[in-house]
Amino acid sequence: MRTETTLAQADVSELDLVKRCQAGETEAFDELVTRYRTRIFAMIYNMVHNEQDAWDLAQDSFVKAWKSIKRFRGRSSFYTWIYRIVMNVTIDWLRKKQVKGAGVEFDDAIQLREVNPASKTLPKADPLPYERMERTEVRARIDNAITQLSPEHRAVILMKETEGMQYHEIAETLGCSIGTVMSRLFYARKKLQNLLKDVYENI
Amino acid sequence: MKTFEEKWTAWLDDQLTGKELEDFEASLPDKEAAEAEKRDATKLGALLKQELGAQPFSNEEFFNHQLRERIARENAQDRHGARSTWWTVPRLVWTGAVSLALFMICAVVVMREKTPSERSEYLTQILNMRVDPVVSPNATISVFETKGDRVTVIWTEGLQSLPSDYAAK
Repeated sequence: MRTETTLAQADVSELDLVKRCQAGETEAFDELVTRYRTRIFAMIYNMVHNEQDAWDLAQDSFVKAWKSIKRFRGRSSFYTWIYRIVMNVTIDWLRKKQVKGAGVEFDDAIQLREVNPASKTLPKADPLPYERMERTEVRARIDNAITQLSPEHRAVILMKETEGMQYHEIAETLGCSIGTVMSRLFYARKKLQNLLKDVYENI
Repeated sequence: MKTFEEKWTAWLDDQLTGKELEDFEASLPDKEAAEAEKRDATKLGALLKQELGAQPFSNEEFFNHQLRERIARENAQDRHGARSTWWTVPRLVWTGAVSLALFMICAVVVMREKTPSERSEYLTQILNMRVDPVVSPNATISVFETKGDRVTVIWTEGLQSLPSDYAAK
């Protein structure tokens, strides 16, 4: 199988690959998977914070994409289209997990309760010298902070900050309005700034 | 009309321009605090990008291999499902068609049996009978009958009066 680098060199157009997939060519789909698997796995992992779950959800997402590829009309990029599937699968999974485990409450209400939208300044968090903090600890802090966001807020902040997606792309992926994306981004940032101030202040 | 949250987010991401930007910045009660928060948001974004952006993904080839196997399995299941459906639907269609054909044949046979002959439906039996020759000497009564349909038509002519105890014979 070819690697991502060689695929890029091959410069096979994405649309061509999609058309071949639509004709039932699994090899073309394999190439698309190779192109996007790392980013998609990373995105899911950042949402669920478990490697095995991320692996399974990525597999589920790609299987769903394969099953519905004939319905892809090319109105958006393939990347946006598959991201939509990934987000639906992952958010559904997180919601079901929350219901089963009756775990952490994450919904829009809790965001509103805990963050004052009008506040312009952030509470001073306890300083924690970055020098003493191992990289894994930083990651654990970030993961823990993200866990406290609702699945939708996680999706929005990750797509914006790690994927660099535009508001309209995020809105298209999540099937909501741009205003909703901006609003979710507002609360997600406030919450994470609250929880991670000492981390980013010391980097 | 944008909400405060939307404007704030757009401002943080440098998406506000022109008059909208001026109006928003003029509406901020503490511009310095807002600028500090903007810097914080930028730092947060950089931290997230740095720490979460490059998630290692091991066993990439196995991921594809497993996916190929799953898709092959799903395809096989779909084909089997489609075949099962194909067996069910045609069987239903054929059963329906055969039943309809049999019904039509039976209906045609029955209808043919019941189709009246080209000759008159009735007049199979005509009974000319005179009534009382004293009261109505020229009166006649004709009875038309169809055997199959159980219809009887009585036709009278020249009847002056009908005796109370009259009964056709």
